[in-house]
Amino acid sequence: MNSLQSHAIETPNEKQNRHKAMEAIKVLNTLKEGFKAPPKAMDYFYNLFEDVYCKQKPLHKDKVKVGTMCIQIPSEIIYALDGVPIRLCNGFYTDDEIGSEFLPQKACPLVKASVGHLASKNLIDKPDMIYSPTTCDQKTKAGTLIKSFGYDVVDVDFPRTKESEISREFFRRSIREFSADLSLKMGKKLSRKKLKASISKIGYAQSLYHRLSDFRKNRAVPILGNDMFLVTNAFFFDKIDNWIDACEKLVDELEQRVKDDIHAGGKISPRIVYTGSPPIFPNYKIPIIIEDSDAIIVADETCSSNRMFNDRVAVDEWFVNDMIDSLADKYLKACTCPIFSKNDDRIRRIIELVRSFNADGVIYQAFAGCTVYELEQRSVLEAMEREGISILYIESDYSPSQQGQLSTRVEAFVESLKIKNRNKT
Amino acid sequence: MRYFTGIDIGSTAIKITIIDENKELVGHKISASGSMFYKYAHQTLDDLMKELNISKDDIAYTVATGYGRKLFKEADENISEITANAIGAVAAAKEYGEIKTIINIGGQDSKAISLDDMGNVVNFAMNDRCAAGTGKFLDACAMNLEIGVEELAHRHFSSKGTPLSINSTCAVFAESEIIGLLGNNHSVEDIVCGVHYSIAKRVIKLVKRVGIKEGIYFDGGPALNAGLVNAIENELGKKIFIPAYPQVTTSYGAAILGVDSYSYQNRE
Amino acid sequence: MKRIRDFIHKADMKRFRFWLQIFFFVIFIYGGYFAINLGTSIPVFSCGFDQEVGGMCYFLPLQHQLARPLDVLFSVASISVLIGFVTFLLWFIVFNKAWCGYACPLGTMQDWLTGLRKRLGIRYSTYTQPQFNKLKKIKYIMLALVILSPMAVGMGLLEREWVTAFCSICPGRMVTPLFVGDTSQWSLDFSSKSAMILTALGLVFTGLFVVGSFVKKRFFCFFCPMSAMHYIFSDAALLKLKKDGDKCTKCGDCYAVCDMQIKDIADDVTSTNILRDDCILCLKCVAACPEDDALHVDILNMKLFTSTKGGFEKRMGMQTYKGAADE
Repeated sequence: MNSLQSHAIETPNEKQNRHKAMEAIKVLNTLKEGFKAPPKAMDYFYNLFEDVYCKQKPLHKDKVKVGTMCIQIPSEIIYALDGVPIRLCNGFYTDDEIGSEFLPQKACPLVKASVGHLASKNLIDKPDMIYSPTTCDQKTKAGTLIKSFGYDVVDVDFPRTKESEISREFFRRSIREFSADLSLKMGKKLSRKKLKASISKIGYAQSLYHRLSDFRKNRAVPILGNDMFLVTNAFFFDKIDNWIDACEKLVDELEQRVKDDIHAGGKISPRIVYTGSPPIFPNYKIPIIIEDSDAIIVADETCSSNRMFNDRVAVDEWFVNDMIDSLADKYLKACTCPIFSKNDDRIRRIIELVRSFNADGVIYQAFAGCTVYELEQRSVLEAMEREGISILYIESDYSPSQQGQLSTRVEAFVESLKIKNRNKT
Repeated sequence: MRYFTGIDIGSTAIKITIIDENKELVGHKISASGSMFYKYAHQTLDDLMKELNISKDDIAYTVATGYGRKLFKEADENISEITANAIGAVAAAKEYGEIKTIINIGGQDSKAISLDDMGNVVNFAMNDRCAAGTGKFLDACAMNLEIGVEELAHRHFSSKGTPLSINSTCAVFAESEIIGLLGNNHSVEDIVCGVHYSIAKRVIKLVKRVGIKEGIYFDGGPALNAGLVNAIENELGKKIFIPAYPQVTTSYGAAILGVDSYSYQNRE
Repeated sequence: MKRIRDFIHKADMKRFRFWLQIFFFVIFIYGGYFAINLGTSIPVFSCGFDQEVGGMCYFLPLQHQLARPLDVLFSVASISVLIGFVTFLLWFIVFNKAWCGYACPLGTMQDWLTGLRKRLGIRYSTYTQPQFNKLKKIKYIMLALVILSPMAVGMGLLEREWVTAFCSICPGRMVTPLFVGDTSQWSLDFSSKSAMILTALGLVFTGLFVVGSFVKKRFFCFFCPMSAMHYIFSDAALLKLKKDGDKCTKCGDCYAVCDMQIKDIADDVTSTNILRDDCILCLKCVAACPEDDALHVDILNMKLFTSTKGGFEKRMGMQTYKGAADE
């Protein structure tokens, strides 16, 4: 009798934290020890993720946290109003299972995980308000679902076409509304000086990413794709000044590594461009399989990494409304999310990345249940075929199973790239 | 004379092929994987070597492939079964002509591979999440009809009526469907035919994903089933090439890769 | 060599343009004081009604030349018309529409009004796309007026006041002489009905010009017949605005800064020659492009000024990475 009573049952929150910590530490250990020695500057990021996901350390205690459901909410405006943007896109299988109670089984695992996380109310840096752009169907419906959990959720209208003048004006108005709403909630007015400063700071963060990316164009790639994903994922929730400092150190170290000709991959590792549904920590299943199979990811076209940093904002006359309009334009026009009717920009971007990073092939990963990425697969595959670029289409989800099946496909693809390279010489 | 070994550790069966340095087939052996396939793989290899009178020292290079390739640590190299299958198919069909498309139906999966003019893999599609359209399905059906797997071909060709259509997408539910058909007095032959066509249709769908190009090679254990071959040919509307030993194409390919790797590593 | 290139690509375009515009303004408006005479085929609105003009707007002599009777116009006596035209073309071909962005006195005046507006903290206004589409045809109608009105006089269809019909309604005629203290153009000519109509229109358009340029960047350039004339020959020019569509990420930064609201600059990723009829070649788009080599201005197929990441960061006042050695 005693042994049964003394066995305390975990609360659901404790269990969730423990499982998530297990998932997180597994991936972090793989990155730290499973490959060649990573740059020392990466220690900051490994420790950051461990602090947040294993030790449940909150980062933004006395700031107002503004949650965002997708990449299209301008963080510049949030910083200018003294808020902290927190991207709520989630990568944990634990949260995915919780979310399965609220969403159909076949739904996108990313949305399920985000919903599950918010449903559990077990958040370290809980957002005070959430802005949800109406991007894909699942995110759009999830917004209202999350509201029913008691969060303050505001829908931000996002157009499904981006070529027309109508969509430009539509989104400009939408962002003005967003900015007015946030301003009201924060009790502050959007000042010209602060907005210009935040555009400048985020622009600087973006240019640091550009510099990091440029190092990967080198024949000897100084950093693994997985490590880069970790760095960009950190931007979702980290203090921006700390992130900038850590990146500066990383830039210095990578510069040295390039001089010393240190290569994070193998001698004949094929160079891969990764695109598709975003790999969000700790769901690095596919990128880890890729780099385990003796290939190296040199560039990516995903909204959790490249897309956040790629395009910078130009303003003609630094008035508040001018800046807001320029931001709205950039977040709409440059966006290559597959929710748009046409996806020519995404195809051009992938081709441009393959060319400028001298890649051997593209791996296109879609979540099972992500309608838009699955639908786009055909046009992207055809475009790659026309350009003579090898591409592998692979479907996965957040569950830890199917490792063998996925690795077989990736390895077969990597082997075919190696043979192709050998035949070229 | 140096010998090279290719070991294909599948989920259902272990296939081992030994070739000489001129890439000529010396011998092969097939055994069941069971639950301890590591032990059985070693045992099968030892048995084969004994049969061919080859000692361990004569083996210059070993390549492992298949589901369990990473666990066979004694191999000098391991490659995916897709690459191995492609190499093996091109070599085995040398006299027949150029191979551009490979259909493989294994114990628990099925694959379609598309090759370019030089025999390199350009595209592939796999069905490894569902047993419908795999060897398992044939086994299960044979068991339900209370006949042996080797009888399936004969029954297929003895069918008098049109092949019955098996509608279930799941191999498990298809069993119930078969029992239902038996209950309605359909003949075993017609049911067997229906099963073959059901598998054929499923496999063709898979092949369409990589494109059907002339020069079609069919391997894997079920390729021994002439009835299934007949169904696939009729569904494709084309003739397909069956090698003499369809189960060992992949291990044969692995062994050939071994020869190439060995000479590349030991070149002057 | 690299340092010179970096200096050019990272240049502060605003300051460069400001001083170059002043330079040309002085030469054209006050040239007479320095005994400068660059002829009468100048491809900008350097108004001939200014007594001290240093080089005259081509439209003034053109209209007078076209006012001859048709049989004279198409005879050998009109070799002077041809010479005038060829001289105009030769001036134009060197700098293409950069004349508009850097040299035109009327353009410079508009930029000064814009500067005033910015200092007052007032935001600019823009056209909506339907408005834009309808209004952009007006410049061709103006060009038709420049050419056909004098010819109609030559054919005896209109009175003599209509020879310089365009000059009568052009804001340049009224505003430019003010800079040398000449207010004589600010009047209504009651001598005849045509004169009354034309000078009244002149006053109205000048008023529109001042107000319009204050609220909208380069308001007049949108309707300018000289711009229309330029565009007809811009393919032959030496200076070209080029775009490399593969590098363009469609971020829309160039469109956001374009005074003339040209959409193609951002949205067209297939054409290489991206100069459109409204373009004044001010190069603000190249300066605002955050990608390397997506937009550039070439002279004789050599890159003169190209968009660079470093240049973008500097111009937008962004912190650049310490000791950022340029690539």
